Amino acid sequence: MTRAKTLARRAFIPLLAVFTALLFGAVVIILTDFVSLALLPTDPVGAISGAVGGVLAGYGAMLTGAFGDPARILAALESGNINDIATAIRPLTETLVVATPLILAGLAVAVSFRAGMFNIGVEGQFIVGMASASFAALTFTFLPAPLLVLSVLVFGVLGGMAWAAVPAILKVKTGAHEVVTTIMMNGIAASLVAWVIRGPLRYEDIGGGFNVNLRTDPFPDAAMIPDLGHLFGIRSSARLSWVLPMAIVAAAVVWFIMRRMRLGYEARAVGASPGSARAAGISIGAVQVKLFLLSGALAGLVGIQQLFADQGFLPAGYEAGIGFTGIAVAFLGQNSPVGIVFAALLWGVLARGETSLQLETDVPREFIIILQGLLIMSVVVTYQVAKRRLFSRQLRRAADVEDLRDAEASVDIERAGEPGPPREVDR
Amino acid sequence: MPLGDIGAAIGIALTYFTIIYLTGLGGLYSERSGIVNIGLEGMMIVGTVTGSWGTAELTPELGLPWGPLAGILIGAAAGAIFASIHALATVTFKVDQIVSGVVINLVAVGVARFLSTIAFGQATQSDSGQPHMDSIDIPLLSSLPWGLGRAFDGISPMVVVAFLMVIPVWYSLYRTRWGLRLRSCGENPEAARSLGVRVSPYRYEAVLLSGALAGMAGAFLAVEVNLSWNEGQTQGLGFIALAALILSNWNPIRLMGAAFIFGFAQAIPLRLADAPIIGAIPPEFIRMTPYVVTIIVLAGFVGKVRPPAAAGRAYEGSTGV
Repeated sequence: MTRAKTLARRAFIPLLAVFTALLFGAVVIILTDFVSLALLPTDPVGAISGAVGGVLAGYGAMLTGAFGDPARILAALESGNINDIATAIRPLTETLVVATPLILAGLAVAVSFRAGMFNIGVEGQFIVGMASASFAALTFTFLPAPLLVLSVLVFGVLGGMAWAAVPAILKVKTGAHEVVTTIMMNGIAASLVAWVIRGPLRYEDIGGGFNVNLRTDPFPDAAMIPDLGHLFGIRSSARLSWVLPMAIVAAAVVWFIMRRMRLGYEARAVGASPGSARAAGISIGAVQVKLFLLSGALAGLVGIQQLFADQGFLPAGYEAGIGFTGIAVAFLGQNSPVGIVFAALLWGVLARGETSLQLETDVPREFIIILQGLLIMSVVVTYQVAKRRLFSRQLRRAADVEDLRDAEASVDIERAGEPGPPREVDR
Repeated sequence: MPLGDIGAAIGIALTYFTIIYLTGLGGLYSERSGIVNIGLEGMMIVGTVTGSWGTAELTPELGLPWGPLAGILIGAAAGAIFASIHALATVTFKVDQIVSGVVINLVAVGVARFLSTIAFGQATQSDSGQPHMDSIDIPLLSSLPWGLGRAFDGISPMVVVAFLMVIPVWYSLYRTRWGLRLRSCGENPEAARSLGVRVSPYRYEAVLLSGALAGMAGAFLAVEVNLSWNEGQTQGLGFIALAALILSNWNPIRLMGAAFIFGFAQAIPLRLADAPIIGAIPPEFIRMTPYVVTIIVLAGFVGKVRPPAAAGRAYEGSTGV
C-alpha cells in the first residue's frame, strides 16, 4: 500500500467520526431549540429554517470562539502591530493552551495502548507528578531559574513514573489487571495529594485577611516556565508557553521510540501478538514495564502548562479529568503521535468553543460536553466497525487464495501496524 | 471514647453502605454477564440529577413518601436508559468495554449539567432542602444500649430496601434459569451459545439492570442524603463500589460485607475524628483504604479473587446473538 493511501485510510476513521458527531450534535441542537420546535405545527418552513440556522449559528460561534474573528485578525495583520495581532489571535492561542496538556495525556495513553495495555491511571499519575513537581519548586528555591525549571520537570516525570510503576510491576509479577489497579491508584492519588496540600505543602503565608483556598505556597518566579509571547515582544502575556513546543517534541520523541528504536519495535510486537513476540525471544514483562513507565513519565508532565506556566501554585481538588480526556484524544488520534497532536487541537477547539457558544447563541454551553461525548463514542464505534469490516474482508480475500491458517497469519501482520485499543495479552 | 460516636459512625456507614451496595449490585449483574462496567460512576451521576428532578416535580402531587420514591425510581430508569449506551456500544458494536465505560463517565458529567439546566435552570446544582422520605427507627435495634442504637435511629427507608435487595438479587442469580444463563454468558459465552442461550439479550438485560441499580443509588444519594443535586456529589463512590465488588469476589452476599466495610471507612473521618489511634491518622489516608485493600487483594497478597472468566471479552458469535 502506498504511503498516501495508508495516510488516507488512517485519517478516514477519525474524519468520519468527527462528521458523525457533528451530525448527531446538530440533532441535539435542533431538539433543544424549543422556539423552532414550537413553530413546527403552524409554520413548518420557518421551523426548519430556524433549526438549520440555529445549527449553523452554533457551529459558527464555536469556530470563531476557538480561532478568532477572521475580519479582526485581517485588520490586525494589516495594521502590523504585533500587540494587536496577539489580541486578535488570542482565541487561537487559548485553544493551543488547552490542547497542550491533552497532547501529553494522549501520548501517555497511546504509549500504553501500543504495548497491549490500558493506562487509565494517567489522571492519578499526573496529579502525583504535579504534587512532586510542586515539592521541587518549593524546596529547591536556591537553584538558578533554568536548573529549578529542570528539576520541576524531572520531579514531575519521576512522580508520574513512580505512580505508574506500581500497577506495571503488579501486572508483571502478580498478573493483577492494570485497568483495575490504575483506577484504584487514581483514588489513592486523589487522597494522597489532598493530604499533601493540607499538610506538608500547605500555604503558610496567609496575611491581610485574605480568604485563601486550600493550596500550596506560590511557586518562586524562577520555577515558572516563560511564555512565548515575549519572544516576539508582545507585552501582555499570551499564556502560550514553552510547554507547547515541549509537548510537540515529546510527540516526536514518542514517534522516534516507537518507530526507530528497538523498544518500540518490541512494544508493537507485544501489542500485536504476544505469542509471536514471546516466541521471538522478547521479554514481554520487561517491555510492558518500560512502556508503562514511559507512559507514566509523559503523564507526570500533563499539569505543567496549567501549574507552571499559568497558575503558579497547586490548588486542592486538582483533578481536571484531563487523564480521562487523554484516552479520548489517543483514540481520536489513532495512537499515532501526529494524530494525537491534531486530536488534542480538535479537543481544544471544542473546549474553547464553549464560551462563545454560550455568549452568542441560545445553545446551552453544556452542549459541548455532549458533543465531546458523541465524538468519542462515534470514533470508537467507527473504528470498531471499520476494523471488523477490514478483518473479514482480508480473511475472505486470503481464503480465496491460500488456506485459512495463512490468512489469519497475514491478518495478524496487518494488525500489527494498526492503531487501536489494547488487545488482551495472554501470559 | 463514647460508644455513641461509634453508633453515629455506623449510622453514616449504613448510608454509604446503601450507595455502595446498590451500585455494587449493578456492577455484579453486568460483570457476571461478561460486561465490565467501569461506567458505574457515570450512571450514578445521571441518577442523582434525574432523581432529584423527579422528587422535586412529583412530591407536590404525590406527597410523602411517594414523591421521593417516584424520584428514586425515575433516577433508576434514567440510569438504565443511560446504561443502554454502554450496552449498545459493548454488546452490539463490540467496542472495548473499558473504553466505553470511560466514555460513559466522561459523558455523564455533561449529560447531568445539560439535564440540570433544563430541570433546574442552573448547571451544577438544584435548590437545596428538597423533600425526602420520613426517616424511620428500626424496632429493637434502635433501642440498643450505650448509644449504639443511634446507628438505627432515624435512617432512610431506602437503607432497609438496600439490605433486602440481597434476597431478590441472590435468588435471581443462583436460583433461576435466567440467572444461571446470565452467569454462563459471563463465564463462557461460546459454550452458552452452543446450548441455545442467546448471549446478547442477557448481556443487554444485565447492563440495563446495572444502570438501574447505579441510578437508584445515585438518586438515593441526591434525594435522601444530600436533599439536593450538586455536581460532583458522587465523589468517586462508583469506583469504591467497583472495589467492593472485587473484594466480594463477585458475590452478592459477600458484597454486603465489603460495602459495609468501605462505607465505614468513609464514615470514620466524619464521626470518629477524635477517637484514639484512628483519630491520629489523617482522614485522607482512611479514605484511600478501599483502594489500597483492593490492590492488595488483586495482587493476591491476601486472599484470592477470580473475576467472571469472560468479563471484558466481546462475544464473537457468527450471528451476533
